Amino acid sequence: MKRREMLRASVLAGAAAALRPALADAQSGAQNAAQVSELTPAQRGVDASNEFAAPGWKPLFLDEHQNETLIVLSDLIIPATDTPGAKEALVNRYIDLVLAAETPEVQRAFLNSLGYLDGESMRRFKSAFRYLSREDQDDLLHGLAYPRVGGGWAGDRGAVPDPGHGHFEVLKGRIMTAYYSSQIGEKELGWDGAFAHGPYQGCEHPEGDHK
Amino acid sequence: MKGMAGMTQDPLQQTYDAVVVGSGATGGWAAKQLAEAGLKVVLLEAGRAVTPKEFTEHMPAYKLKYRDHSPEVVRTRPVQKQCYACMEYNFEWFVNDLENPYSTPPGKPFTWQRLRILGGRSLVWGRQSYRMSDNDFKAASRDGYGDDWPISYADLAPYYDRVERYVGISGAAEGNEMLPDGQFLPPMKMSCGEVLLRERVKAKFGHTVTIGRTAILTQNHNGRLQCHYCGPCERGCSTFSYFSSPFTTVKDALASGNCMLITNAVVSHVDMDAEPNKARGVTYVDRLTRQVKEVRGKTVILCAQALESTRILLNSSTREYPNGLANSSGALGHYLMDHVVGGGASGRLPDFKTLPNANEPARPNGIYVPRFRNTPSSGKHSRFIRGYGYQGGAGAQFNFSAEGYGASLKKAVKEGDYQIGLGAFGESLARWDNYVEIDRDLKDAWGIPALRISMTHGDNEAALMQDSGAMAAEMLEAAGAKDIHEHASVEMPGMAIHELGTARMGNDPKKSVLTPFNQSHDVKNLFVMDGASFVSSACQNPTLSMMAVTVRACDHLIERFRKSEV
Repeated sequence: MKRREMLRASVLAGAAAALRPALADAQSGAQNAAQVSELTPAQRGVDASNEFAAPGWKPLFLDEHQNETLIVLSDLIIPATDTPGAKEALVNRYIDLVLAAETPEVQRAFLNSLGYLDGESMRRFKSAFRYLSREDQDDLLHGLAYPRVGGGWAGDRGAVPDPGHGHFEVLKGRIMTAYYSSQIGEKELGWDGAFAHGPYQGCEHPEGDHK
Repeated sequence: MKGMAGMTQDPLQQTYDAVVVGSGATGGWAAKQLAEAGLKVVLLEAGRAVTPKEFTEHMPAYKLKYRDHSPEVVRTRPVQKQCYACMEYNFEWFVNDLENPYSTPPGKPFTWQRLRILGGRSLVWGRQSYRMSDNDFKAASRDGYGDDWPISYADLAPYYDRVERYVGISGAAEGNEMLPDGQFLPPMKMSCGEVLLRERVKAKFGHTVTIGRTAILTQNHNGRLQCHYCGPCERGCSTFSYFSSPFTTVKDALASGNCMLITNAVVSHVDMDAEPNKARGVTYVDRLTRQVKEVRGKTVILCAQALESTRILLNSSTREYPNGLANSSGALGHYLMDHVVGGGASGRLPDFKTLPNANEPARPNGIYVPRFRNTPSSGKHSRFIRGYGYQGGAGAQFNFSAEGYGASLKKAVKEGDYQIGLGAFGESLARWDNYVEIDRDLKDAWGIPALRISMTHGDNEAALMQDSGAMAAEMLEAAGAKDIHEHASVEMPGMAIHELGTARMGNDPKKSVLTPFNQSHDVKNLFVMDGASFVSSACQNPTLSMMAVTVRACDHLIERFRKSEV
């Protein structure tokens, strides 16, 4: 048994002992027919982690061009390196699901930002973003990725906010949230899959020497 | 329904010694104390029972269909989701806002966050547990505002001891004049940044930074296991390491054989006997069948949460009490308080090692800075009365706000940032014009008239938040923080989820609803044993004090039963 499993087993064994009277309560509470419908899917143990990988997936909200553009963009924002990137994490599918349930205002704002990307691309390169060369995509994104205001950079007096950066941040925010909440994203952050890792150790430095 | 060995007849055909309404932090204590003393108790809970099988603290977000962005939560809990603890994991524990409406006057928003389930908010509470001191109980005498409590620290201290010993509060003794020490389990550890802040703040300002005092076990205690540092307590705890009533006080009450639990009992009002000034019991609506039922008791004890207890009294008007039961003073519903939040500061400690680790134990606790304004040693502040305390923390975090994109963004996220922050909880002054009343045009899904809540924070609360922002920024600067962001806003009332007052205790029946033992001045067998009884809010998280007040009131009631005074 691995250390993690041992930890889990010991925690749960202790819990089971402590739980016995409470479980008796639970069983009498379960007499309520309404109870199951009053549990969240998570509380019923539903695991939705594989839904996006289902064969035959189709977007609920995005059209094909928007979906493909989002895949290309997500791959640029969080590319595969020595670890998988946003494309492998199917962030477009999660973003589509969440957007489909959003208010019309939020949906419109997202499509505006995605549309801005294509608009800039058409203006500068006469082609939609997803069809640009990698160099041109990079060139375009680089101009949007950092806050620039009016005629100069952030910090200049009298400058007005740069709408391009705002649109970039909307798209990047969605992609970041989708990626780092995915199973691939959790692994990217180094999580080993165990829920407990022993007591919190805290600072053990001598006084005045904390780094 | 369960409990009450040997009591096989219809639970509604009996007359109990005590009808306890609400099974949360205070109701659990009332049921335990009274039942263990041999009284026959019926405990009414508006929600269903809760089982450990529905705890989700170990489920990663990627298993949730919407990864905590569920439209069902948005649709059914638009108010509840303003609380961080209402999530796709557990939102069914919180009330459905569509079934549980309340109103507010234009321009006076109030967020009311509630659970209706066995244990109530003790399932998801923040667990911070602090004593109040005579600087709080006697605040009016010291600065001339409002009223003193009719009880002092000495009255409550033995009950704090008793509650802390049972609940298990981890913390560090500091000898602070504003924050009395208690019966602590070993404290959780502080991070390097927090220890640095503690040293620098003591050296530069003379103020104390301590580890949060929290109702989470740092060693096995009373049959519950010590914390395993998984992090998200608000989704339940399979080792019962944080205190919640269903698995502690309510369990004890049921084990005594003297307590009958009735779940799904939505209490609408207190019934009065033909004999003048005597409560007969309560009427409730079965949450599932909508049947109206009555349960009888020699005493009625409301522990339904401050505003719900007051709502029940306001909905119990009689010819004798046309403006709400036990309201000859007119004070019922008034002096609503909720700690003011929105002030503080955050920054980065650039010299600290970052590299956050997703596998590090997650400490479900932060640091605390006890009140240092308007204290005996600080003297009076020129711009405001009372004060605030900070909760906060410091540690390495993933840098999800890193700039740019591509491989460098991925790297920057993992390299992280050492963040440090302090957020204030300020005293909310008791004011007559912050109040609740019945909205005659609004009913909940069970036909029970709903509340209209009128509350604003005032100039003193705004001044507290202003000062708390500036002081937090100075403290972080003393610790060497960079990129310090100061905030001094006043968030909408209700955001602290520390509703207090509306049925205050006092010695004068003309000015208060309850006696110092939480008994109605008007109706001698009616009690309110929850935060509604508070005279002032102090700035400390109130649940520990609510529990101590409840246990004290129960001791008094048990004594009266023994002397056959009930």
